[in-house]
Amino acid sequence: MSAELTMTLEVFRYHPETDDEPRFQAYEVPYDEDWVVLDALNWIKDHVDGSLTHRWSCRMGVCGSCGMMVNGDPKLTCAVFLKDYYPRPIKVEPLVNFPVERDLVVSLDGFMEKLEAVKPYIIRDDVNDTSGGEYLQSPAELAQYKQYSMCINCMLCYAACPVAGHEDEFLGPAALALGHRYNKDSRDQGQAERLDVMLVGEAIWGCTFVGECTVVCPKHVDPAGAIQQAKAVGAQEFFKRFVAPKGAGV
Amino acid sequence: MSGQYHRPHGWAWFLERPGYVRFMVRELTSFFVAGYLILLLVTLGRLGGGEAAFAEWLSALSGPGWMLAHVIALIAAVWHSITWFAAVPQAMPVYLGERKLPAPLAAVVMGYGPWLTVTAVIVWWVLR
Repeated sequence: MSAELTMTLEVFRYHPETDDEPRFQAYEVPYDEDWVVLDALNWIKDHVDGSLTHRWSCRMGVCGSCGMMVNGDPKLTCAVFLKDYYPRPIKVEPLVNFPVERDLVVSLDGFMEKLEAVKPYIIRDDVNDTSGGEYLQSPAELAQYKQYSMCINCMLCYAACPVAGHEDEFLGPAALALGHRYNKDSRDQGQAERLDVMLVGEAIWGCTFVGECTVVCPKHVDPAGAIQQAKAVGAQEFFKRFVAPKGAGV
Repeated sequence: MSGQYHRPHGWAWFLERPGYVRFMVRELTSFFVAGYLILLLVTLGRLGGGEAAFAEWLSALSGPGWMLAHVIALIAAVWHSITWFAAVPQAMPVYLGERKLPAPLAAVVMGYGPWLTVTAVIVWWVLR
């Protein structure tokens, strides 16, 4: 470690007990080319200011807890290195498009409600009937949804989406991608239930295909693609109502 | 105690990320495409007005202002088409068994290929 080298982190601070408005606080942190931004934040909390509040857990891009704005870009702070910015200062903020609870921690209540609404689990009519054994699935059937199942709910896509920031009714990239993931699963029978939620108002139609959700996704989920495909399914279902016989239940 | 802090949204949100700017450019090019369609409809109307009216309309269109407008509309239409076809593999992925066709190839199969085929048929029909 090059102990003599330092760099500056400008960190968003907001304590609801005392602050009406947020402020930025600058910290000098040791520069180590092996450190990620999360290491620097943890160093600040351990050595300089124990009141700094941020979320993290796995440090390996799996848990999705440490998403923050790093110099204006939504990033997993465990996956972005100080050396990529050195010697320029790094500005760390909580994810945009979410209410700030405290310092770098945002409220995920709104997202959790939207995620729950799309029923992100396998729905079957015969859920209690195991007499047929396992539900078999071919590699080709798995390929239809596997990409969308890699979502870690890190919320970077919501921070990158201008619609998510302006339209409350919009379910958002991750929730819609996960809804689509289960609709594409050959074992699932719940597409109609999900579309009842996804096709209402601006829930999915609010998406204008800006595509930045896919750009920032650290797991290459491609929520923008999932949303466009789900829109196409919704449009097909809409027109099927006019051509199917009454009571056909399409 | 203030509770949660809600960050304000600025009106210039589309300048905040290069991707937003590219999105807005893509959307704005659609106005030029729509404008050129209206121009084509007016041209068809003039054609219905007789040979003299059509010749007069074509003469007016050959002025420098209209030529410039045509060049701008062409650039906008080409950019709109390229960005639209670039998005096709995301909206309509092509699977061969468990393998997804690479995006450039899917853009050809689902976008450029059908477009060029339809264009070739129209050109053949007009020139035959």
